[in-house]
Amino acid sequence: MAKTNLPVLPPEGSRPHAPLGEGCFLGETERQQPLALREALATIKNWFRANSLWVMAYGTGCGAIELRPLTTARFDMERFGMAMRPTPRQSNVLIVSGYLATKSLKRVIRSYEQMPSPKWVVGLGSCTINGGMYWDSYNTINRLDLYLPVDTYIAGCMPRPEALIEGFKGLMDDIKAGRANGWNHYLENMDWYKDNQKRLITDWDLPDYNW
Amino acid sequence: MDNILDRIRDTFGSLWKHEQRADLLQVGVEQRHVLPLLTWLKEHTPYIQLTHLSAVDWIEDGEFQLSYLLTDPVGRRSLMVAARIPREEATADSVHTLWPHAVTSEQEINEMFGIHFPGSPRQGTPFILEGWDDIPPMRRDFDTVEYMDRHHPSRPGREHTDPRAYIGRVVGEKGFLHD
Repeated sequence: MAKTNLPVLPPEGSRPHAPLGEGCFLGETERQQPLALREALATIKNWFRANSLWVMAYGTGCGAIELRPLTTARFDMERFGMAMRPTPRQSNVLIVSGYLATKSLKRVIRSYEQMPSPKWVVGLGSCTINGGMYWDSYNTINRLDLYLPVDTYIAGCMPRPEALIEGFKGLMDDIKAGRANGWNHYLENMDWYKDNQKRLITDWDLPDYNW
Repeated sequence: MDNILDRIRDTFGSLWKHEQRADLLQVGVEQRHVLPLLTWLKEHTPYIQLTHLSAVDWIEDGEFQLSYLLTDPVGRRSLMVAARIPREEATADSVHTLWPHAVTSEQEINEMFGIHFPGSPRQGTPFILEGWDDIPPMRRDFDTVEYMDRHHPSRPGREHTDPRAYIGRVVGEKGFLHD
């Protein structure tokens, strides 16, 4: 894939959300500690993160209908420390629920970049994996992972809340093990992601990165 | 009012008529008669409300069909007025002077089929699509699979099963479709 050399720099005086290449994301003071202590701190932090997933309340497609029973009495995702948040600034999980229109993709990118790190993307339903039943629609994307770093895919058309819970449990295990590093992958491969995004979104009017 | 189709035929010379249901009549007229007919229907008959304005691509005939669905809200019945226009440089009379909300339908048809409604506001303004640079996507000569191959590459390994071939194979093996 051809790379463009777009300089993606933060505004003057600000820093990127996360240090590159840090799977466990420790703070400045913690990173100067001995290795054993760093690992212990990272494990504890990741345990807390895995048990406090805050989901952005944004549904792109029909799969979002399965999030309602997940949030309410019958399946109750609050049991796992998951809650719906109204804005990207308060969320760390973005669920792309079902088919994603090219027009929505622009808003999703903007929302994703505004979320504070560490953050995770869950692709829900067949449409995010290979286009699903909308594979030949001119208006929906076929592969979400070309545009955003997806940590977990949940297959199905559409997956029931039990499948969603299973998927989120897998995501939690990945976070605890320090494997869910899509947000770092996004920062490290920013040129490749931006290249894909701009190839699809022809009337690009966003900043290069939405800090 | 039961002989509305006859009255349209006598006054405007309808090309064809069809009684889809007791409460849904269809009539085809020439494009030049659409605006007078719709004005007359709105002013002098109970069909006062424009419910739908949609387009059909008859690519084999080289024509577009514009369908205006009018509703009689008291009598709970509808009348569809259809008119065909040439597909090349497609232009039709705007009816937004009769029903202001037709502006939105005409804007959408303009975007999706490329039919121009002179005088209608917001023609050429994007309605749903953003940054569209191909022919209007609801035209039947728009190849959506080819477009997808160009813009949205498929994930390698995806298998496609033609429903007709699959069902034929299942029926051939089992001799019946369902267990």
